Amino acid sequence: MRKKLSEMNYGEEGIVKSIEESLRNKVAGIGIRVGTKLKMATKQPIKGPVVVTIDRYSISLGLGIADKIIVEVEE
Amino acid sequence: MKILLMGNPNVGKSAIFNRLAGTKVMESNYPGTTVDYIKGYMRLENKDIEIIDVPGTFSLEPKDKAEEVAVRMLKENKDSVIVCVIDSTKLERGLYLALEIIEEGYPVIIALNMWDIAKDKNIWIDIEKLENILGVPVVATVAVSGEGIKELVSKIKEASPVNIERIVERAGGLEK
Repeated sequence: MRKKLSEMNYGEEGIVKSIEESLRNKVAGIGIRVGTKLKMATKQPIKGPVVVTIDRYSISLGLGIADKIIVEVEE
Repeated sequence: MKILLMGNPNVGKSAIFNRLAGTKVMESNYPGTTVDYIKGYMRLENKDIEIIDVPGTFSLEPKDKAEEVAVRMLKENKDSVIVCVIDSTKLERGLYLALEIIEEGYPVIIALNMWDIAKDKNIWIDIEKLENILGVPVVATVAVSGEGIKELVSKIKEASPVNIERIVERAGGLEK
C-alpha cells in the first residue's frame, strides 16, 4: 500500500517510491532517495516532526517534508 | 594550498581540526556547532599550511546559513585539498557529500571518523575496497583519541582529483 511518509505508523517499514521534485535534492543529502528503505521510529504529537530510521541511523523530518514523500509499506 | 575540513554536521570535523592544528576549538555534542569557519595552521613537509574547519553540510545545495558558508568556502578555495570527514556509522550520507565534492573536481581524502563507535555497533567498512572504487585515500580515524591522525596527515599529499565517471564505472554503473 502506498501512503505519505507522514501517515506511516510506529514501527512500520517502507520503501520510498516518490519524492516531490522540489524536495529531491534537499533530502538526498540526508540519505533519503527513491528506493531507500526506512522505518518509522517516532511521531511527535501536535504536528511535530517524525523520526525515521535508515540503515542504522535516525533522521528527523518536519511534517511538511514527510507529507511530500510517498512510501510503499507492506500490508 | 589550503586544507578544508568538510563533512556532515556533528561528525567530528572540529575534533580532527584540533588534532591537525594543535589548537583548542570548542566542541560540543550538538550538531551545527561550527556556524562560522575557523582557521588554523598545520605543519606539512616543513611548510605551514592553512587549514579551515568548515561548518557541517549535507550537500552542496545549501539549505541554511551554515551550509551557505560551507559551500562558499569550497567555491572560494579552488586550490584546496578537501579532507572529507565521515561518521563511520552514517557512511552513506557522508559519501553523498564526498562524491559531490569529488564531482566538483577537488582533490579529496576521506577520514572515516568515529571508527571506534562503528566497531562497537558491529559496523565494518572495507577501506581497501572503498579506496579502490573512489580512487581517493581513505583513513579510519578516532579524532578524540588521535587514532589514525598520523596516517591521515601522511596521506594528504596523495589526494588528487578523480573523474566521477570512473567512480561510477568502478562501482558497477548506475542503477537501472
